[in-house]
Amino acid sequence: MVHPLHETAAISGIGETAYTRGTPKSALALQLEASLAAIADAGLSPRDIDGIVPYFPGGGIAEDFIANLGLPDLKLSLFVPMGGATCVAAIQSAAMAVATGVCNHVLIAVGRTGYSGARVSTRLQQFPQFALAAEFEAPIGMFAPAQLYAQGARRHMELYGTTARHMAEVAVTTRQHAILNGNVVMNKPLTVEDHHASRMISDPFRLFDCSLESDGGAAIIISRADRARDLKKPLVTIMGVAAGHPESPASIAQRPDILEFGLVKSAPRAYEMAGVGPKDIDVAEIYDCFTFTVIRQLEILGFCKTGEGGPFIMDGRIGLGGDLPINTHGGLLSQGHVVGLNHAIELTRQLRGEAGKAQVKNAEVGLVTGYGDMGDGSIAILRRAA
Amino acid sequence: MSAPTVAPPPAPERPLPTPTRESQPHWDGMREGRFLLQHCSGCGKVRHYPRPVCPHCFSMDSEFKEAPTGGTIHAWTVCHHPFNFFFKAAVPYVVALVDMDAGVRVNAQLKGVAEADIKIGKRVKMGFEPIDKEVTLPFFVAE
Repeated sequence: MVHPLHETAAISGIGETAYTRGTPKSALALQLEASLAAIADAGLSPRDIDGIVPYFPGGGIAEDFIANLGLPDLKLSLFVPMGGATCVAAIQSAAMAVATGVCNHVLIAVGRTGYSGARVSTRLQQFPQFALAAEFEAPIGMFAPAQLYAQGARRHMELYGTTARHMAEVAVTTRQHAILNGNVVMNKPLTVEDHHASRMISDPFRLFDCSLESDGGAAIIISRADRARDLKKPLVTIMGVAAGHPESPASIAQRPDILEFGLVKSAPRAYEMAGVGPKDIDVAEIYDCFTFTVIRQLEILGFCKTGEGGPFIMDGRIGLGGDLPINTHGGLLSQGHVVGLNHAIELTRQLRGEAGKAQVKNAEVGLVTGYGDMGDGSIAILRRAA
Repeated sequence: MSAPTVAPPPAPERPLPTPTRESQPHWDGMREGRFLLQHCSGCGKVRHYPRPVCPHCFSMDSEFKEAPTGGTIHAWTVCHHPFNFFFKAAVPYVVALVDMDAGVRVNAQLKGVAEADIKIGKRVKMGFEPIDKEVTLPFFVAE
């Protein structure tokens, strides 16, 4: 039986601000600027938006969008508190809202002053999902994601022989893609040697294994597919979408398998809903808070077996022209950190054929993941509709 | 007119646990140098970090029992960048994730072991480091 969400919703509009390090604008202003760009991209009026999923905390809430955009009748306001898994999980929520007729056009928007505002450890203290880590791990000097996720990377290295060279491959390839994009924070070439010489943050993560702290806004609009077909841009439908939480979701330390992410649960559901498998994917935008996180997600997504992620990504496989081009915009590692909504935007561009110099030839089906909190995992599989 | 004086910034404070109604007995035990873990009164299973309901049998009754302090290393990281300024003087330090013999994990700094000697499965033992009158934190040394 075809799932009721299969291709009933579409990404109809995408918008971004400039990604920078330093801005006089507020997170709310960045979020609204990106929202207006997404609304214009879809060929809609702000008045058409009747559902909102703002990234929280940071930026605005529904009331800010009503006040600024003059929304006449907002029917749905949601938070999806899954950290970096939020944006793609929000696609599931928005698709449900338009498929059931509750809303016509749902806005998902991020505004972030990650460079000019509060930095990561300070921001995370606002998250209830980090309360256990704050109580039991922050006092012993373990709280930032780079620290909390480093232990899993180290274990993967010890068990499977994954190396710093493998992690460098993700950083270097992602940078090559960023340089083609234009709207990126990091626009200078990066070599494997540069990666290995960068300072250690939390072993095995070096500086260039870590995503950026940057300022920027991003927004997308989810519309019912039949309505989106009549809008301005080529139709990109949502074939499958899912979100999942790992065991022991608020503490990696207490998780039986510290290399289990929520994606273990959500990926099979999304593939089933989409009716496709890993072999059908032409391009993948993988949440890249850390280089290792990309390697492990590719394993969980079924592109290779557990433990084989390191060798799998080598020899140009994840670059443009390779079997599985990933993070063709530069990702969180090199483009900017808007909690992965830029990944959904880039996938939409690729499937529309709007990706410019980074365009993957004949990209028809692609996937995007989100990864957040202590390993929540979300995934959407999109298609260029005929 | 003399130049305006600027007060020096306050010394960074160590992040400290804020015990909850569920976790207070654990922290009370730490202060006494005892590793107390929550056990379900219904099915007897141990759980950490402390919380109100047993996820196995859904009993809300539990008791804290003293647990053995030995374990083996499951994973580790060496922290070089002090994300909290308090730890600036301490970097680099090793945080080991340990499979305790008691059946839970504990994350704590590993002291006195060279980085090259850290391996998955290495035996370690938990120690107790008083921080102030209320708080005692765990650390690990080689067994």
